[in-house]
Amino acid sequence: MTRIGITTTVPVEIILAAGHIPVDLNNIFITSPEAGKFVEAAEEAGYPRNICGWIKGLYSIVVNRDGNTGDGIDKVIAVTQGDCSNTHALMETYELAGVETIPFAYPYDRDYDLLKLQMEKLMGALGTDWEAVAAVKRQLDKLRLKVAEIDRLTWEENTVSGFHNHLYQVSCSDFNSDLTAFEADVDAFLTKTASAAEYTDDLRLGFIGVPPIFPDLYPYLETMGARVVYNEVQRQFAMPFVTDDIVEQYRLYTYPYGVFGRIKDIEAEIERRNLDGIVHYVQSFCFRQIEDIILREKLDIPILTIEGDKPGKIDARTRLRIDSFLEMLR
Amino acid sequence: MQCGIDLGSRSVKLVIMNPGTKQLAAANVYETARFYREYGQRTDKGLAVDFGALGLPAVTSLTATGYGRNTIAIVGATIIPELKAHMLGASYQTGLTDFTLLDLGGQDSKVIKVRKGRMVDFQTNDKCAASTGRYLENMAAVLDISLAELADYSENPVELSATCAIFGESELIGRMVEGYTTAELAAGVNYSIYKRIKPMLSALKSDKIVFTGGVALGSAIKTFITREMGAEVIVPEHPQLNGAIGCAVYKADK
Repeated sequence: MTRIGITTTVPVEIILAAGHIPVDLNNIFITSPEAGKFVEAAEEAGYPRNICGWIKGLYSIVVNRDGNTGDGIDKVIAVTQGDCSNTHALMETYELAGVETIPFAYPYDRDYDLLKLQMEKLMGALGTDWEAVAAVKRQLDKLRLKVAEIDRLTWEENTVSGFHNHLYQVSCSDFNSDLTAFEADVDAFLTKTASAAEYTDDLRLGFIGVPPIFPDLYPYLETMGARVVYNEVQRQFAMPFVTDDIVEQYRLYTYPYGVFGRIKDIEAEIERRNLDGIVHYVQSFCFRQIEDIILREKLDIPILTIEGDKPGKIDARTRLRIDSFLEMLR
Repeated sequence: MQCGIDLGSRSVKLVIMNPGTKQLAAANVYETARFYREYGQRTDKGLAVDFGALGLPAVTSLTATGYGRNTIAIVGATIIPELKAHMLGASYQTGLTDFTLLDLGGQDSKVIKVRKGRMVDFQTNDKCAASTGRYLENMAAVLDISLAELADYSENPVELSATCAIFGESELIGRMVEGYTTAELAAGVNYSIYKRIKPMLSALKSDKIVFTGGVALGSAIKTFITREMGAEVIVPEHPQLNGAIGCAVYKADK
């Protein structure tokens, strides 16, 4: 079976229907104990210092074969529109290194026909059809419902930590490359959670923006008496949208389109989940940092913007800012 | 007696306050490394401050804040977040409840918006210290004048564009070679600080800006803010001690 690397969430149903294994390169990069070294390796290969750490990690994880999780990556689906324009050059440096890449573009204006065409082209490139994709979708819909239940337990029953909420939802980009094992893990987690004690943190936070490059962000917030009960982009990756039409499903998914669609989703969840404040994570050198202006203008809730560059623990200055923000909310 | 300590990156500020009268019984500024070396003692519970060696009145309670609070536990101290300490200090020193606080310290720049006595928003510098006391110290050394002298020049600033406190040194030398006077160069250094903090101040603006931190001891930045932003700038009596005063007040209010 072919291992297909992905640079962000793509219609994973197509990869699975074609009989391939999806591998979210972000997840294997950030969970590696060598994450920092992957960034350095990309800089040694000539990647500029002032380029996003995620892009550098994605480069090294594919090109440095010995850094892969055993089986390597055979091809990469690179999202050239809707995620990050640096992916254009990332794709080109993959090609330079002899890695086959398949471009995928989310149409900025959410055009149904253009999105459908992109999905059809991806099916052609991987070798599958609508019927097979629809069958996989029905299977994944059931799994997505279970992950949506983990999310509900987080904000409504208060029995799931912010980190686990993040982890299970973010994993839905590739279902940890193993559907059966992931589903068993989700089932076991749901069983365990049924008897879990309620969290009693006094502050309820939302986390918006791309997933953080700091692995200890969620535990740190919890030691300070605050819990993340809404993970915006991770929840989008998990796609809790009820629709039979897979094109519509990827059209409802807010992340790859304009910020105003995201804002509508965030506003609804602030209300529904009764949030006290929001942490907006931005990645150094990312164009999405500019959107902080719009989010601050449009969202009527206290926002702390924190910035991460390289993988590693939260630095002292960011901790100080978090402490002050939580104090402000109290 | 209540003691408030602000453990800064460049200096440690310590005040002793009479909880009844809320008057300062003592106030001192120590160089940070020297403070830890000479008046600190490592114990199992953290760093114990030797008040006897400091020659200060007996302290009944201790509140601390500052950059050091993430790494150093002070024995017997209540620890409060730095921005809260500065907000409390500024409110106490000025009697204001609606203002924007600008604090420029050794490494940190902070802007805090305060409404009805509560912090409602804030911004701090992130990775760059080029609008702080440390930047001024470097530039004073290049110009071969004292920090106090440097911080007062505000007329005819030369344009400086380097965004780094260290690369700024060679740019400043380049301007010296071009023949600008020390006064114009020093004004340029102060103006470059103003330019860096202006977006933060604009985002969180108020009619009244309370300006604290060691950098507020000089007059130039206050002049620029007043002149260009049309805001009233209030420098309280003890700008550098503001965070330590905030700590002492926090305890006194309990």
